[in-house]
Amino acid sequence: MNGRRSSGGGRGRASKAQQGKDGARRPMFRRRKVCKFCAEKIDDINYKDTKLLMSFVPERAKIVPRRISGTCALHQRKLRTAIMRARQLAMLPYTSE
Amino acid sequence: MHRKYELVYVVSPAATDDQVSELHTQIEGVAQRMGGQVEKTENWGRRKLAYEIGHQKEGTYVLEVINGSGELMKEIDRRLKVIDYVIRHLIVRVDQDEHVVEHRRTKRSAASRRRRVARGLPPERQPGEGQRGESGDERDEDQDDRFDAAEDVR
Repeated sequence: MNGRRSSGGGRGRASKAQQGKDGARRPMFRRRKVCKFCAEKIDDINYKDTKLLMSFVPERAKIVPRRISGTCALHQRKLRTAIMRARQLAMLPYTSE
Repeated sequence: MHRKYELVYVVSPAATDDQVSELHTQIEGVAQRMGGQVEKTENWGRRKLAYEIGHQKEGTYVLEVINGSGELMKEIDRRLKVIDYVIRHLIVRVDQDEHVVEHRRTKRSAASRRRRVARGLPPERQPGEGQRGESGDERDEDQDDRFDAAEDVR
């Protein structure tokens, strides 16, 4: 049991499998997404900062999902509360039209 | 128990400037009577609303930062609900969030200072230095894994 673990075969295999998968599913280069708030070190996502929030509320006025914007879970949560507060004060729309 | 709150209210454009300032003095009076005080007031002026509220397309926004108790804010909330030329208002407690933000900021600057000293650099960032620190690369790798997983789902 000990010997098997020390060989470290599992790790090597895993990385190889991942490489194969990457090659098959991602033929083209995709830009790595980074959370805007982590990258720019914006600590406080405020409902009063309409200009910042606008960039996460496209024309249809829905909040951009994490999978598109690349925002991390923590900041997406804070962004959501900020947008909802701004909507209450009619600083941001709920819907278009 | 004193807490810090932010109050934003939107006044209908039909109201005069006198009514807006009277509203402010009224809130200040209530705050003082109940053992609080208004720390800051900001009038953002007339702005376009993102959607129509009661056939109004514009509104005057006023921000007040108030130190006081929960009962005080309850009273202010009740009064604002009654006044019909206030078309929207929002009360948010901010002291806890401010504390968290402050903490994170000091923690980050302390960490960067420690790293810089460990690398034999002066603790403050010099003008004309590069953007990326040594910790940045690590974090990026973590995120890369996460996005790979997300793509698999799709």
